Amino acid sequence: MSRRTQASQVRAETDHGMFDAELSGTVLNLQLLRRIVGWLEPFKIRLAFSAVLILAASCVTVMMEIIISRVLVDYIIVGEMSSHMPDLGMIALTRWVESYLGIEPIFAAGLLFLLAMCVTAVAGHAHRLTLISAIVNALRDLRQDLFAHLERRPSSFYDKVPTGRIMTRVTNDVEALYEMLRGMGALVGEFVPFLVALTIMLSTSVKLTLILLLLVPVVGIATHFFRNATQEIFRLVRNTVSSLNQNLQENLSGMQVVQLNDRQARNLDEYTQINQRNLGYENRSIDLSTAYGAFNDSLAAVGLGIIIWYGGGAVVQDEMSLGGVILFTRFMNMLFTPVVMLGEQLNVLFRAMASGERIFQALDWDEQIHEPTHPVELPARLRGKVEFRDLTFGYSPAVPILKGVSVVIQPGEKLAIVGPTGSGKSTMIRLLGRFYDFDRDRIFLDDIDLNDLRSQDVRSRIGVVLQDFHIFSGSILDNIILGNPKISRERAIEAAKTVNAHEFIERLPEGYDSILVERGANLSQGQRQLLAFARVLAADPEILILDEATASIDTETERLIQDGLRKLMTGRTSILIAHRLQTIQEADQVLVLHHGVVRELGTHAALLALKGLYYTLHELQFQDVSIDE
Amino acid sequence: MKSLIRLIPFLRPYRYQIGLGFLSFFIARFFEVSTYYLVSVGIDTIEILGGSADSVLAPFSVGQVATVLIFSVMLRFVFVVHARRQVRRVGQLVAYDLRQRLYMTVQQQGSDFFSKMGVGDIMTRAIQDISLIQRLVAFGMIQIVIMVYAPLFGVSAMMYKSPALTFMIMPILPAIFYYGWWMSRQLAVTSVAVQENLSALSSLVQENLGGIRTVQAQAQEDNEIRRFGGVNENYAQAFYSQSRVNSLMSAWMPFQASAAQLLIIVYGGSQVLAGEISIGDLVFFLACLNMLLQPIRMAGMFVTLVQRGAVATNRLHEIFDAVPEIRDSPSDNTPATIRGEFEFKHLTYSYPRAAEPVLKDITLQIKAGESIAIVGRVGAGKSTLLKLFTRMADTPRGCLFLDGHDICDYPLSQVRSQIAQVLQDPFLFGEPLRNNISYDDPARALDLVWDSAEAAALRETIEAFPEQMDTLIGERGVTLSGGQKQRATLARGLIRNAPVLILDDCFSSVDTETEEHILNRLKTMRRERTTIIVSHRVSTLRHADRIIVLDEGRIIEAGSHAELLRQGGAYAELERAQTPGADQAAQRRAQVTAPL
Repeated sequence: MSRRTQASQVRAETDHGMFDAELSGTVLNLQLLRRIVGWLEPFKIRLAFSAVLILAASCVTVMMEIIISRVLVDYIIVGEMSSHMPDLGMIALTRWVESYLGIEPIFAAGLLFLLAMCVTAVAGHAHRLTLISAIVNALRDLRQDLFAHLERRPSSFYDKVPTGRIMTRVTNDVEALYEMLRGMGALVGEFVPFLVALTIMLSTSVKLTLILLLLVPVVGIATHFFRNATQEIFRLVRNTVSSLNQNLQENLSGMQVVQLNDRQARNLDEYTQINQRNLGYENRSIDLSTAYGAFNDSLAAVGLGIIIWYGGGAVVQDEMSLGGVILFTRFMNMLFTPVVMLGEQLNVLFRAMASGERIFQALDWDEQIHEPTHPVELPARLRGKVEFRDLTFGYSPAVPILKGVSVVIQPGEKLAIVGPTGSGKSTMIRLLGRFYDFDRDRIFLDDIDLNDLRSQDVRSRIGVVLQDFHIFSGSILDNIILGNPKISRERAIEAAKTVNAHEFIERLPEGYDSILVERGANLSQGQRQLLAFARVLAADPEILILDEATASIDTETERLIQDGLRKLMTGRTSILIAHRLQTIQEADQVLVLHHGVVRELGTHAALLALKGLYYTLHELQFQDVSIDE
Repeated sequence: MKSLIRLIPFLRPYRYQIGLGFLSFFIARFFEVSTYYLVSVGIDTIEILGGSADSVLAPFSVGQVATVLIFSVMLRFVFVVHARRQVRRVGQLVAYDLRQRLYMTVQQQGSDFFSKMGVGDIMTRAIQDISLIQRLVAFGMIQIVIMVYAPLFGVSAMMYKSPALTFMIMPILPAIFYYGWWMSRQLAVTSVAVQENLSALSSLVQENLGGIRTVQAQAQEDNEIRRFGGVNENYAQAFYSQSRVNSLMSAWMPFQASAAQLLIIVYGGSQVLAGEISIGDLVFFLACLNMLLQPIRMAGMFVTLVQRGAVATNRLHEIFDAVPEIRDSPSDNTPATIRGEFEFKHLTYSYPRAAEPVLKDITLQIKAGESIAIVGRVGAGKSTLLKLFTRMADTPRGCLFLDGHDICDYPLSQVRSQIAQVLQDPFLFGEPLRNNISYDDPARALDLVWDSAEAAALRETIEAFPEQMDTLIGERGVTLSGGQKQRATLARGLIRNAPVLILDDCFSSVDTETEEHILNRLKTMRRERTTIIVSHRVSTLRHADRIIVLDEGRIIEAGSHAELLRQGGAYAELERAQTPGADQAAQRRAQVTAPL
């Protein structure tokens, strides 16, 4: 037993703050990349195809430029065929087409150009499709695995970690990985043509190529400086933007306090200051990025000047042909794009690293409910006796929520739990549902220690109707059956009839097949309650837990609900967190919980007579819906 | 379109900046075309130097051409940077103004506005819609410039060189433009599909995580994972479809540009051979063609930008157009300081759009310096009544008088700064404790802050914090318990030392003993000043000079503790219920298994 206690303590101390710790991802984490590659593995054939296709497309693109410069200008117009300049056999090919089809050289060149542009388009498209399909599928699988993993984390996890943060992992963080992989693919798509072009340029004129390559480090350095400068500015912009949002959000949430304290003017002042700071940073970031973008364009144009200058001399000395010079001007852009893009991609990469870390942290988060190694198998039908025995429990060990709670509910009996908010009512039913770990020998189901049962087994014997019980998107029928293969359509309808849900369901345009929108917003509160009853009745659990809705419902529906509830409770051990006087009056026992302690326990009449806490609560809080029978 | 017109007032202050930006763009374009032109001159010069036409002398040296070229590039750089900077800054300025306007507007709104528009909704508008408009202003204008200038300069430059070749290419351009526009529309359509699928995925995850307890209680994990699988697959499919259109566009655009190039190669090449144009001209044509085609990709993006921006403008104006519910129309003859005397004359109040009035025919006089307690069931109208004191809800004229003047005649800020109210729901800001307590005036001396903390029985709690009064509250700081929060908000009310203090059931999480202690201090502190307190506890109510019992919007009993007990009505009943051990005999008779 001490081991269990220890285990639960260790768990309670799990630092959930870690889950939302800001992961920097500033370093290139190779291990992380390897893990991501694991999901790409099944699509490796597609990726290989993609690589071959980009190489082919790049080569053909380069050929198109050669047709313009070498074939059109040198061979056709100038009539020069200097052999030391590379043409990838294009001139020979043109001459072959000329003689084979018996057409003018210019039309032969045009024909080849047409062919090349078709191949480029098709190969490029196929390259992108194969690449994207591999990435999209890999990340779909990753997202699926991530969701499946998170779905099985216990309540203690969901209590501590805000759902917004968990959501971000499944959505934004996976998106960030997509951006990264797609960016890497695009980078390859730029680098391959760059390398092919570079090869051609080198074999055309080593000297001119080297001179132009001197500009590349300039772009590189500019990119580096730009990145460093903007990183700081972007951080400041992000900070001020989030201060702006936080200020507005707080101001909105506490608007009454703001207005009651006549603080509007001062708050606007504070907001204006942040807004101005933000504007300043935004302007600085605009200055930087406009300068950087234009600088890169201009450097490419400066390259053109260098080509003309150097090319002029080279042509005179017959080192280069005119077509060669034109070829260089056409390749100029290809030289810088990869460097610029690399700069852009680095940001994406670092962002993705942080996202990747968050994703894998979630996947590695193995917090779970303790399951017995040798579980006791439950009989086909439980009698339904529930016992809490001197139960003390707190979500964190230092702050007990329940203190020495003992109560026995005999098979088929109804227990109503009442007490002010925060008294521990919900905790009692959560523990019974095995949502948390607790000590041995504290809660028993048919005299079996709950710790000896699988949580799934326990939950399948307990029907829970929570206050804001969950409606799943899908049809009404889906919502009653909930994927349980043992429940037939007939049985589901039977259950709905018993709890008075049938009537309103039938009135819906498509009856049981009507689709419920998000959270069943197209049903009234009362209708949802009845639907929840039908769901539980169809599953036919031995034990019923109900957290009664507090919202007021019209009298007619209220009558249906009370009647449905009565039928639902028949032959079932029921534990009710009750707000309705009628529900409480009909219970076999009423348990008054206050600050986690059982203050009073007895029948409604006995507790009223006691004139204690129950009496006060009764006077102030319970809703007497006064239904005339 | 109509909604975009509403954006004009926000742009007007920056019209000169925008005009200057457009002018710079124009000049920059000129230098860009010059650059291409100079390249062509350079190539022709090289051709002449290369000896294919020895007889003609080149007018310039390649060095001269290259120098002018680099010079023109630099000039273009200067103007492009200036132009983009101007226009993008206007985007930020507009965003700044929109934020200010939004902040000012929401601060004037009352509870009716906030019941129609939740905090999350306003936040989305403040974050997303403003950013959409900022993008529309900044990038939309740049795109307009590109769409106008690029074809303008491209076509005129080509016409200048060779009208024949220009006319050759012209017919295919509309086709290319139309196709480009169509494609980018397609892209917009598929990206809507992607957005829809993504939001389906997000809302499934949100719905699922929000109901994770139910999911696990019903052992629905496997089902849910399968369901997620379906949505996940759909999203992947939609994404792939979008990427396919995108990729098709990436393939088609250069393909069509190549088609135009092909025309230049074949027809232009023949013209060169015929000696009608030079090789340089041919290269110039190819460069201008690239420029001409620039706007194609932009058209679709531009349409999307405009559409989204229009929707965003509408959504923001839904906030800007809201009229404050509380009319601040001060008259000149109200006193500058209030004493705290209230008179309700047959006041009946209903909320906007509500069928039933919440308060019915309330007639009540509160003398300055009196302490009044109000009690009643949930929904009896207590909170509404309190709202009227501070004009958080607007009373009809002639129903509520403060120191003899209609409360509507006082300036709003006076009413709120001289009447302090502590709300039922203890709201604290994510700021240090000191700022939270001295919220109305952050500059107040620290001693006074401690005094009010003491009065609210919070001194010891704060002293236990390492950073004392500087302790940060909330998510990023210390989380206070419900009782501590209530006492902190109480301190916030007490520190104001106002002529009127209103406490709305703000002891519910404070234990009775502490409450008793606080109330006793309060009695001395508030001597001779009006104090109004709402509570369910007789132990709290009994301290008041007069107790008002509200039921279903009406005053059913009013009087001192002793008087009401004597009357033997609802209050007396409540008192009996809350007095421990009042009925010993009943206790003994009851069969109770109360644990110890």
